[in-house]
Amino acid sequence: MATKETTQGTDTDAEVRLEDDGSALLEELVRGHDVRTEPLWRIRLRLFRRSFAKNWGLFKDSKMGIVGLIIIAVFGLMAVVHPILMSTVWDPAIYDPVSGYDAVFNEFTVVEDGALTDPLTEIELTQARFDLNPTVDVGDTARIPVQPAPPSLGGEDGNAHVLGTDPQGRDIFSQLLYGARAAFLLGFVAAFTTVFIATTVGSVAAYYGGKIDGFLMRTADLILLMPLLPVLIVLSAVVQINMIMLGIMIGILLGFGGDAIVLKSQALSIKIKSYIDAARVAGGGDSHIIFRHIIPNVIPLSLLYMMFGVTIAIALEATLSFLGLLNIRMSWGIMINTASNQGYLLSGTSYWWLLFPAGLAVSFLAFGFFVVGRGMDEVINPRLRAR
Amino acid sequence: MFRFLGRRLFQMAFLFIIFLSIVWFLLQLMPGDITDTLIGDPSIPLATRLELAQRLGLDQPLYLQYWTYITNFFKGEMGVSFSRYPQDVSTILWEAIPRTLVLVLTGTLLAYWMGFKSGKLIAWGRGGKTEQGFIIAGIGLQTVFYPWFAIVMLWTFGFFLGWFPIGRFISVGLWQGSGFDATTIFEQLVVTTFIAMMIYVGVRYLIKKAVGNLITEQRLLRVAGVLVLAGLVAYWYFNPARSYVADIVWHTMLPVATLGLVLFGAVMLITRTSMLETLGEDYILTARAKGLPQRVIRDRHAARNALLPVVTSFILALGTVISGAIITEFIFSWPGMGLLFLQGIIVSDIPLVTGALAITGVLTLVAHLVVDVLYTFLDPRIRIS
Amino acid sequence: MTLSLENLQTRRVDPNKPLLEVDDLVMHYRIKAGEVSAVDNVGFTIHQGEAVGLVGESGCGKTSVALSLLRLLPANAEYISGQIRLNGDDLLQLTEEEMRKRRWKDIAMVFQGAMNSWNPVYRVGDQIREVLDTHFRGEMDIDEQTEHIEKLFAAVGLPREMVYRYPHEFSGGMRQRAVIAMALACSPELIIADEPTTALDVIVQDQILKELKRIQAELGMSILYISHDIAVIAEVTDSLGVMYAGKLVEYGPTSEVFARPRHPYAYLLLRSTPAITGPRRQLAPLGGEPPDLLNPPSGCRFHPRCPFATERCSIEEPPLAEISEGHRVACWNYEDVPELEMELVR
Repeated sequence: MATKETTQGTDTDAEVRLEDDGSALLEELVRGHDVRTEPLWRIRLRLFRRSFAKNWGLFKDSKMGIVGLIIIAVFGLMAVVHPILMSTVWDPAIYDPVSGYDAVFNEFTVVEDGALTDPLTEIELTQARFDLNPTVDVGDTARIPVQPAPPSLGGEDGNAHVLGTDPQGRDIFSQLLYGARAAFLLGFVAAFTTVFIATTVGSVAAYYGGKIDGFLMRTADLILLMPLLPVLIVLSAVVQINMIMLGIMIGILLGFGGDAIVLKSQALSIKIKSYIDAARVAGGGDSHIIFRHIIPNVIPLSLLYMMFGVTIAIALEATLSFLGLLNIRMSWGIMINTASNQGYLLSGTSYWWLLFPAGLAVSFLAFGFFVVGRGMDEVINPRLRAR
Repeated sequence: MFRFLGRRLFQMAFLFIIFLSIVWFLLQLMPGDITDTLIGDPSIPLATRLELAQRLGLDQPLYLQYWTYITNFFKGEMGVSFSRYPQDVSTILWEAIPRTLVLVLTGTLLAYWMGFKSGKLIAWGRGGKTEQGFIIAGIGLQTVFYPWFAIVMLWTFGFFLGWFPIGRFISVGLWQGSGFDATTIFEQLVVTTFIAMMIYVGVRYLIKKAVGNLITEQRLLRVAGVLVLAGLVAYWYFNPARSYVADIVWHTMLPVATLGLVLFGAVMLITRTSMLETLGEDYILTARAKGLPQRVIRDRHAARNALLPVVTSFILALGTVISGAIITEFIFSWPGMGLLFLQGIIVSDIPLVTGALAITGVLTLVAHLVVDVLYTFLDPRIRIS
Repeated sequence: MTLSLENLQTRRVDPNKPLLEVDDLVMHYRIKAGEVSAVDNVGFTIHQGEAVGLVGESGCGKTSVALSLLRLLPANAEYISGQIRLNGDDLLQLTEEEMRKRRWKDIAMVFQGAMNSWNPVYRVGDQIREVLDTHFRGEMDIDEQTEHIEKLFAAVGLPREMVYRYPHEFSGGMRQRAVIAMALACSPELIIADEPTTALDVIVQDQILKELKRIQAELGMSILYISHDIAVIAEVTDSLGVMYAGKLVEYGPTSEVFARPRHPYAYLLLRSTPAITGPRRQLAPLGGEPPDLLNPPSGCRFHPRCPFATERCSIEEPPLAEISEGHRVACWNYEDVPELEMELVR
């Protein structure tokens, strides 16, 4: 059956293109008219590219959206760079984010017990005798391995630790880059699951209506009621959760919760459009209509919620890791957790490299995704555009 | 009105039972029970363990345990805590609830009050660099990594500047031997605030019914609000426990500020969006044509209508508030329900965790009800006649 | 000054004295793509006690003109030249605060879609009261205000207790009446009625128009009607102006303009209105679309759609010139415009 596509957008005259499926009906329709035929996918691609170009123009207008993209790109770069560095410049024994170890030696001046003024350059006598050897005395310079070590660029006898080491001697910068990888993996899994679940549930509910709709929406309401963090905390106690599982769980909870409800309204507004009736008359079955018509139009809105979903997922993972409830190797949350476990939680500026890089990383990446989401929101909801 | 309330309560009760059941069954999946903690102790014979299990009803079939729990719950009994044996869960939670309420209610109210004011002002001003700055700040506050943010706040204002205490909810030394009990004082704080709010609501209703015109009504309401607040403050000022209450307040400030700041960002942004939408309405143009002063148009007409979506947004924000409360209590060592919940999870204290979640569910549903009722007060179009 | 409807009736009206003079008004909107010429050299005069109408398609600038009288245009509206004189004072030169004080007190407006003129969360009476409170602060106490509001409601035929109701409790026609009541609250010298009958059914339309006419006559008020519905306007106005693409193309006594329009646009507009009485005629629709005011056509703005256009029309813009007593037309070829077989039945 021939399907007719009309272009939307800035063209003032509608262009009609017909899918060439070789049917006799098509030949009949076409006879005597000047009509070009081409495959449906080509039509779809052209429409897609056109609306994408228009939407990109609008997106560019919101400076925040661009800033968000830049932030995401920077973190993406970090994630990509890490394995490269690990396999080329960095020695895994030292720089592996989980199992690496480097003893960074610092020079300390030995002082009297109780006369300590600066813990970063001085060491008390008893401690020095314990760490080094019993013969040192006040005034001596002691070379003692330090964990966590402050940032240094290496040099003569040390390796470069741009952001220092953590209490277990592991390079913070490597951990930071690896955390980017982990965050993106989580974000991707959560995003994909959210979109999948929300789109499917929303479209099915809208299309079938009635009891199915009612049941799905009641469930969605119930899930919406539940606060995410406590639920995930409980789940983490029941089951050992790793990154992918976490992504899927978050995706299900978010996707089925508020998102499905919104998407259902969107799907409903499409369902009542006349071209759905036309498709049905032409013989399209239920799944055909759902997949070919409803879903492609619902996807833009679900992409929007996906962005916000990633923001939430990143924050959730970091929080759960910080509380020590997850079963993952390394992430930014784990970095803070390590610092906290070793008693550096309130160290403030003295050991800033233990808390600030990780905390800022989570905040900035979440900020980036959120702001991109807002930029997309302005494209989709024209009311929000700048006055 | 009361039929509506009754219907709602019934709906809520139904939802709550489903919620409680899900929670209970889910938590049964948590590994371990109290008897496991005794395994490690070789001096306790197996027979004692079995007897303990029997006493706690852990040897019953699952559905029977479930039924017992549900029926007991509505009698106010939530079982015995595993980790704080033999204290029962109800007592433990009862102590903790007012502390969490003080934290959450103060933080939320402050955040919504200030957030609404700010959002209203930036939406009204004609854009420019200030607005951009506020928007970025608002987004920044919303997306900052909360545990880290709380740590930074605690360190900066508690440790480094020393303006506030470093966590906890009272300065224990101060209270020892004073004859005052922190839990009682907290309870009184919550109760008096609640009573004050009810008085205000009642007075508000009466004023609206009695006075026929808006101008007098608004003036009277403002006076009433100030009086009620003054009354509350005066009550505590002349109370013998005054300095102890002050101690509590001093400890509350930092966690409330931390929780409040993050919410503030979100509320400000929502208010701004709502105001922008309201400003496009016809009655705003009419208000301008009537020659009303700018402030009146902004506050009496625009903001008042922009308020409605902001109030409903609170429902969606509840989840965030609860999560925020848990983290805040953890970082500031604030001994409320959130902290109990976390501690319970770590030691697999199933009854305690179940109880905490159940109470949270109750409070959530109450919040929903409050918002619904509040909304009918705010929007005359949906008053139940 | 004590305010009461009885007092309003004693206002003396001199139909020869001008109340509001719009003098060569030029205004454009600034948008990202450039400047939209929304009002171009529009000039007309409303006399005391006179009912004037402005007709035209959507986007012709009539609402912009109306809003200009109250200076309610959005921030991107720029006045290039011209004056709007109310009793001699140029409103465009006033500061915002001075203008604010005059709004509603000197000129009031009944908006298009009056349904939405009401704030849904406040009682109707209160929304009228705030106008009194703003403009007559200290001159009226609460009870006097209440009395006045109730009198206003009675004047437009609304029951007294509706003063204490919320807008959603009013029907469409009642809301319209209430809006008129509010417009009368400060007894202004001029009321602008922007599309007063759109979205009302025909019967209510008729009632509202009659109401406005009666009020105007009784209180000696001037009214400026804005509408796209020429039939409605012709019934109630003394003078009629036709606007197209930001320009005033014809202006004169309603009976003359309606019976014998001289501008091609006005002629085609009237011909496209079916008449129940009179000889049967072919309806003559207007081809084409209104021009883009970002880049208006050269010369006469109507020439691309004009069946009477000549070459001169695309080069030179015709001025609004007087062709008979009080009747002005902006067209080079107005003499070519045929007679319209229509009669104005009042």
